[in-house]
Amino acid sequence: MRPLALALIPRAVAINLALGAIVAALKLPVYLDSVGTILVGALAGPVAGIVTGIASNVILGLLSSPMFFAFIPVAMVIGAVAGVAGTLGAYRSIPGAAAAGLLTGVLAGGTSVPIVIALFGGATASGTGIVTVVLRAMHVSPAMATIAASVGVDIIDKTLCSILVAIVLTRLPNRLSTRFGQTRAVARATT
Amino acid sequence: MSSLDRWNPLTPLAASLLLVVIAYIGPQPWSAVAALAIALALAASRGAGRRALALVLAVAIPAWLIVFVMDGVVAPAGPRALAMPAAAEAALGIAARLAAAIAALGWVVLGVPPRRLTRALAARGLPAWGAYVIVASLEAVPQAKRRAEDVLDAQRCRGLVVGGGVLARVRALLPLAGPLVVGLVTESEERALALEARAFRPWRARTALVPVSDPPGERWMRRAIWLALVGVLAWRLLPWQRVLG
Repeated sequence: MRPLALALIPRAVAINLALGAIVAALKLPVYLDSVGTILVGALAGPVAGIVTGIASNVILGLLSSPMFFAFIPVAMVIGAVAGVAGTLGAYRSIPGAAAAGLLTGVLAGGTSVPIVIALFGGATASGTGIVTVVLRAMHVSPAMATIAASVGVDIIDKTLCSILVAIVLTRLPNRLSTRFGQTRAVARATT
Repeated sequence: MSSLDRWNPLTPLAASLLLVVIAYIGPQPWSAVAALAIALALAASRGAGRRALALVLAVAIPAWLIVFVMDGVVAPAGPRALAMPAAAEAALGIAARLAAAIAALGWVVLGVPPRRLTRALAARGLPAWGAYVIVASLEAVPQAKRRAEDVLDAQRCRGLVVGGGVLARVRALLPLAGPLVVGLVTESEERALALEARAFRPWRARTALVPVSDPPGERWMRRAIWLALVGVLAWRLLPWQRVLG
């Protein structure tokens, strides 16, 4: 791993955790806790993205609640998908970033479903859990309610995260963004 | 020095993983209750009993409530009068297992400073880049949170409205998140130069300035814990009954 990517990972973990303060101030119904992971994936590739995902949930587990350790696989999927999407140049445009965010949301939501069912009985005490309860009230089967809530919420959240990353990439100094491994991912965004 | 500080951090970590496994795959509900009681007693012996209990309750109570409301009130399987007690019992089982896992891991999280844990992992072969990521992240998080609050205050002073409808609030996201993210990414360049200047080798094991002791007795204790963990997994997961039958 290049020193620049390695130095970026702790800052990306901090972005994941610090954006919570801004989301809370804006009272937005999303998490936006994967912006740093997606950013590293887009700039430095899938391996760096996966490491950022693991590090974010380990730090959240250490600082907030050990519950976050259970969702490490989800964070790894987000970092990996963002890295692959970055390699393909998805973050060079807003529609490309939105498509990458949609795919990330589907795969991240799909990964979280077995964890939520096995450990939490189908719903976590969060916004996603409330969506699951609403779906169950509409006579949706337990498994389908968990899948629809997890994937639905993650699609919205990760699409917003990916669009935010694409916009941020256009604001990075060209000299800096081209020093990362994924030059192709940001080439058009920064010019 | 607390009782936990005398141990190598990997020993309580191994013990906590054993408790998590017992809580989830042992006979229910007693395994979960026993693991929870042991973990809370260990946390209390370290002087972190109240914080561990708060951590457990913050997860277990909402977990119980949401599963009970979902399966017993909102979408009961059959008549509500019959479904509610069954849902309450099932939700209690889920909450007990979660509580045991949180208490077991929380005992280590609350009792072992993360830097000491990282040093112990580095002594057991964690490469330099892994230790750097954990320690640098722990340092970066409070700084980034302060910076997020500074950006929020600065943009409010410039007249940014953070209220209104959802669309208006989404629009306000970029002026708030943009400077924070760009600032932190730009800062990583300086950190990378510092790493290069110190001839940082990502895969080389670091020499600890203050080594974490790992006496032979503790190493044997950890081996016994790992053996017990494998034994518990084998007892529950391998089809012994079919083999013996």
